[in-house]
Amino acid sequence: MDSQVERRAPCVVACPVHTNNQVYVERIVEGRYEDALDLLLIANPFSSVCGRICHHPCEQSCRRRKVDAPVGLRQLKRFVVETTKEYRLRRRGLAERTRPERIAVIGSGPAGLSAAHDLARAGFCVTVFDASNTPGGMLGAAIPRYRLPYSVLREDIDDILALGVELQAGCAVGRDVAFADLQRGFEAILIATGLSESRSLGVPGIDSRGVLLALPLLRATCAGEPPAVGERVAVIGGGNVAIDVARCARRLGASDVTVISLESREEMPAWDWEIQEALEEGVKFAPSWGPKQVLSENGAVTGIELKRCVRVFDDAGKFTPQFDDSEMTTIDVDSVVLAIGQRADLSCLKGSRVAIGPGERLEYDAETMLTSERGVFACGEVVTGPGAAVEAVAEGHRAARAIQHFLDTGDPLKQPPKDDLPSLGDLPEQTIERIRQRARIEVPLAPAEARTRDFSEIERGFAEDEARAEAQRCLACTTGAFVDEDRCAACLTCVRICPFDVATVTKTAVMPEEKCQACGLCAAVCPAAAVALKRFGADRIQQDLQRLLGANANASSSPRIVAFCCLFETTSRRFLEENPHDVEQTGVARVLVPCVGRLSVPDMLAPFEMGADGVCVIACADGECMYPTAEERLGQRVDQVKQILDEIGLDGERIDLWRTKDSAEVSWTAFWEISKRKLAHVEAKQRGETP
Amino acid sequence: MIVAERKPLGEIKGFVEGYDRILVVGCGGCATVCLAGGETEVKIVGAALRIAARKEGREQTVLADCVTRQCEPEFVEAVIERVRQQDIDAVVSLGCGVGVNFLAERLGEVPVFPGLNTKFFGATTEPGMWVEMCAGCGNCVLQLTGGICPVARCSKSMLNGPCGGSSNGKCEISPDIDCGWALIIERMKRLGTLDRLLEITPPRDWSTSHHGGPRRVVRADLRELAAQAEETGATEKESTAA
Repeated sequence: MDSQVERRAPCVVACPVHTNNQVYVERIVEGRYEDALDLLLIANPFSSVCGRICHHPCEQSCRRRKVDAPVGLRQLKRFVVETTKEYRLRRRGLAERTRPERIAVIGSGPAGLSAAHDLARAGFCVTVFDASNTPGGMLGAAIPRYRLPYSVLREDIDDILALGVELQAGCAVGRDVAFADLQRGFEAILIATGLSESRSLGVPGIDSRGVLLALPLLRATCAGEPPAVGERVAVIGGGNVAIDVARCARRLGASDVTVISLESREEMPAWDWEIQEALEEGVKFAPSWGPKQVLSENGAVTGIELKRCVRVFDDAGKFTPQFDDSEMTTIDVDSVVLAIGQRADLSCLKGSRVAIGPGERLEYDAETMLTSERGVFACGEVVTGPGAAVEAVAEGHRAARAIQHFLDTGDPLKQPPKDDLPSLGDLPEQTIERIRQRARIEVPLAPAEARTRDFSEIERGFAEDEARAEAQRCLACTTGAFVDEDRCAACLTCVRICPFDVATVTKTAVMPEEKCQACGLCAAVCPAAAVALKRFGADRIQQDLQRLLGANANASSSPRIVAFCCLFETTSRRFLEENPHDVEQTGVARVLVPCVGRLSVPDMLAPFEMGADGVCVIACADGECMYPTAEERLGQRVDQVKQILDEIGLDGERIDLWRTKDSAEVSWTAFWEISKRKLAHVEAKQRGETP
Repeated sequence: MIVAERKPLGEIKGFVEGYDRILVVGCGGCATVCLAGGETEVKIVGAALRIAARKEGREQTVLADCVTRQCEPEFVEAVIERVRQQDIDAVVSLGCGVGVNFLAERLGEVPVFPGLNTKFFGATTEPGMWVEMCAGCGNCVLQLTGGICPVARCSKSMLNGPCGGSSNGKCEISPDIDCGWALIIERMKRLGTLDRLLEITPPRDWSTSHHGGPRRVVRADLRELAAQAEETGATEKESTAA
């Protein structure tokens, strides 16, 4: 692997918008929730939505999954947006208009609005047209409210509109305004109309009363005007929409809901967790069956006849279902809902010259995102086919880049439909074995019987202590140790001390990034000071000390203590938020360190150099440190500092090592008090006073 | 490598107490590898001196530096320059004794104090432990003793051992010290050459060791030609005079 290529954590690579996960999670750990929100919103203006319903490919590729379970990134994102609502309102504001060009976006789903967001921030004047009165596309119109309350979607949309994006809601292009008029009034047009129509099925009886299409049913349900579905419902389809329909049907009073899919249970495209939750809610599954005919009496549905599906895809992976007509079954139902796929509604193009190809598909270049007409772009599901919300956001970003380039240069911009970032890859086996397991914080859903009573949200977010505990599980991939080869003396100390067996020495030390766990033990003992950490290295400790002690250097208060405290023991922001007068009032300057095991002897001497009278190091609870050997090594280094202080006549009793009891909030204040009293005693002794 | 360890900080502090501007200089060679005088130790000694000065109310500036090797003129040149330009009035060397000497010879009126106690030529036997293995006596006899040095590893540097003070493989000096001759015998047994010890090694000429005065090694092919010419000239003159 070329060491010059910057490899990214797999969670970042897997995320379609490449959310900088380790960094925002680190900000949560540091209690900087507002900074975490800033970071989230840069990558994803639909962060509220994705905190609820993202299919979280980040978690599926999290390197921690091989150790115990992935870090709960979706819930962490939700925690950030839920904790920073006031801040988010304050940061909301108009984007400065710096460009004369006007851009029309057709469709206010996540793709269209993400593009509008980026283009408005780039200084363009953006108008979004949507046939519906409620913006948000499928997110607002069809995703059931128990998964995504509309108010949550509005948080994202209102942010985007606040930039100055004009929304023409209830204005259908092609009906209320002609496409040609848009071409005259706007320098660029983005078609982001999604897949808004349900497909139907050509089997006998399909026109019977009680045969419904998925999207109209979901739309009506979201709008609070659900159709009657009866007691027994058959849902045809194996995707996520089918599951949404089935779970809605349970909430609409149907007692007997069956999802019928051509695919086997393993082949069903629906997310596995959605299927599990549906099962809990009493939804039944009939995989590997296909509809033969809808049975009816007096024009109303009475049942559905099914034939066995023996194969869905051919060897090339193409959808070519094959049936065994000798195996049939019949289910008695009151209604049948078709959730077998969606198609685009291209009526907005009526009267335009934008070319529509075979199969009612928009003609489109996947790299330039251009349609057949100059200045007319398309993005999102209308051209990519069905996808997840976060993929639509990524499409929006890509379209915004294409449009901006076009308006800057007059030329199309070629971008690969999917960017492939170099990935750090999975943890090596021998590293997995050395990482301490730590259980994932799971938030239980509401009990199934309560869930199916109405459309209330079924999942709660993390409480602060839960979010912090979960964020602390992040392995901080790619933020570990690196070596200054010019300084390295090849002394092998790092090789000998590393608890994860990361370092090797040939000519100089080498720290393979894919193995390093960023514990910092090597940097703490390197005699050549040749090892640094990408995050929270010695520089950071110096900066914190300067900030805390620099301003208070001449404060006359009684003995002052610098407390190096393990960040991983905090369950709230109580000790993480700095009050400028804190040090003066309490006599304690806190430096929060992600594992105090990384403190070097010079780190612990630095406060004394800056005028502190004592140092108090607070580590994890006994045996709780996530880095093997770190506690013992730290103890040895604290002893070294004691000896140095003794040698220069300062008294080694000026430094204490504590172990957190329960949590920071429970025990730290007491430790500080004891250290302060001890220090007063030492000072009295040194002045020759008898205590 | 040359193995050293830091002097007690109180002692170092005592050396420099009367000076205002001090430079602590580390060495990136052996002193770094044995964790006694590298960049990190320079930071520690510097910090300790500053803390002590602050505590005692002394105005003292302590600066830090670390060179690749303190035993090479090209590497120490920058230190010499810095001492001159920054008005340093005392230097603490965290190199081995060689580094202290080498700097002292070049620093004119500025004193150089040792920050380390230089111990021996040794090897890392386990992480954090170094053991003496060579005495630099100038005439290796390792071919006679299975590669285990009787000069360095026998407390008496006996060439025909062991003595009566060897007990259960340990030296009478301390139970922590292996008897060098017990190691030699074990080793030669494994090599199948124990019978060679029947031959008595005669008393050796110790003039190759320090007993012969300070030594030097010359590689003529690498020396500066002018210096060589000068020396050759001097020798010729001597022989003519004779």
